[in-house]
Amino acid sequence: MILFEAKDLTKTYGKRTVLDLPYFSLDEGAVYCLQGPNGSGKTTLLEILSFLLPPTTGDIFYKGRKIDSNIVRLTDLRREIVLVPQNPVLFSRTVYGNVEVGLKIRGIQAEQRDVRIRECLDIVNMLDLANAHVRGLSGGEVQRTAIAMGLACSPKVIFFDEPTSNLDSMSRKAIERIIKSINELDGITVVFTTHDAEQAFRLAGSVIALHEGRLVNSAFGNIFNGLVTDDSVDRKICLVENMVRLRVDTPKAGPVSVCISPTDLRIVNDPGASAVENLLKGTITRISNEGEMVLITLDLGFPLNVALPQENIVLSTLCLGRELHVLCPSSSIQIL
Amino acid sequence: MDFFLDSLKSALLLLWSLDPELFFIIYVSLKVSFTATVFAGLAGIPCGFLIALRDFPGKKALATFLNSMLALPTVVVGLFVYAFISRRGVLGFLDLLYTQTAMVIGQFILILPIVITFTSAAVSQVDSRFRKTALTLGATQFQAALLIFGEARFGIVASMIAAFGRVVSEIGIAMMLGGNIKGFTRTMTTAMALEYDKGEFVLAVALGIVLLLISVCLNVVFRMIQGRSRI
Repeated sequence: MILFEAKDLTKTYGKRTVLDLPYFSLDEGAVYCLQGPNGSGKTTLLEILSFLLPPTTGDIFYKGRKIDSNIVRLTDLRREIVLVPQNPVLFSRTVYGNVEVGLKIRGIQAEQRDVRIRECLDIVNMLDLANAHVRGLSGGEVQRTAIAMGLACSPKVIFFDEPTSNLDSMSRKAIERIIKSINELDGITVVFTTHDAEQAFRLAGSVIALHEGRLVNSAFGNIFNGLVTDDSVDRKICLVENMVRLRVDTPKAGPVSVCISPTDLRIVNDPGASAVENLLKGTITRISNEGEMVLITLDLGFPLNVALPQENIVLSTLCLGRELHVLCPSSSIQIL
Repeated sequence: MDFFLDSLKSALLLLWSLDPELFFIIYVSLKVSFTATVFAGLAGIPCGFLIALRDFPGKKALATFLNSMLALPTVVVGLFVYAFISRRGVLGFLDLLYTQTAMVIGQFILILPIVITFTSAAVSQVDSRFRKTALTLGATQFQAALLIFGEARFGIVASMIAAFGRVVSEIGIAMMLGGNIKGFTRTMTTAMALEYDKGEFVLAVALGIVLLLISVCLNVVFRMIQGRSRI
């Protein structure tokens, strides 16, 4: 079932458009990762979907219901959705008192509140610090308290904005475990943003990539600078990062951003002697097994990520330092 | 010097003897100042919130006006209110002149800009993320404002203390609108001025000691609150 649907959604500040999505949808009960560089519009999109920020234009549908553009009137819907921001702020009271805020807002009785607060603090492993004042908490503890505050509200959807940035590996693992469990055990729809491709693979069922406010088909960092020119037979050629020439289908010319979808790249085991169009050769610098996918990073003079379904490759044939040929179909290349 | 020391000794004895006239003057002062501060708080705190949290045309001009009003001379307020409540004024029929109510009105006008400006400053200093956090936890606009109030509470209480300190020690409004009527509108400051005029320093010094103690106590509380707000 489609939970969120957005049509012709834009958000502008002055003359600057930070978000421009012709169509966008999220299914209920899934885990999504929003990926993109800083300034790609991830946080803006999360705030719009949390009904904290009105879009400039476009329609949003939540459970099929068209959402009023006046977000002040959306308190009832906002009570189904929680946004845990990148740098959460906690109210100046105890951890317990913070988790209690959302429940008090809903007018829940003290006894029920106590049970729910303890449940949520237990989920995030913060029960021992329930009576601690927030001013003494570490970054990871603040993040976990913020998650408990959201969980206590029994939301249908939780948005996490870069939940593990600036955290050590222990705290990161703890947060990832929480994200997984709240989706698997409670069926909560989870959307999180991250720069970490491996984390995206580990946690998310679907990865949505944003670049300069637009959806792109290239997640996991395959976004490069390019220069589009016409070649001798009037075809468009893009010089990527001043290193690699790719044939592209685009009406654009001049300096562009190039997105290459890592899931659309194909390994070519026997490239043959003849030149194959858009065939790239690189050295394997990294291989990681991420759930059902294998993520390979090739060094082409710049790093290119290739994501392949595990069943399609024999892992034993891949090793670090080995040269690999990948085919980059023009359909996998998006010119922005 | 002997004259001052004798006056100080007599003043302390007067305080020690719990002189009824002295304590009634203190009572009137505190009652009028406290009432004016409460009303200024009731009106000024919501206004300060609105100015801090909402954008509207003329917001900067209003802030500049309120800042200018912080240094409003008490005699100007006294004169302004007098023009309205004197027998020839538009509100003359209410017979408010030379009553404690008139003093409260004047003092309310005097400290309202203080409460609004200080509250607005305290709320503006609260991280804007608190409002978003409150809203994402399901708060209504009013509930979000209450949570922000909680975060700004030390600054807001400090504004009330500053306002009380301003009115309890002012003399212009108390004299012009209260009239310094014995047993009715005589306050600590007007009584001190009168005793000074009479050349009687004992009561003036005794009241001065009380006023000084109130000022010290307010400053101590103010400092404590400022200290807590930095935590």
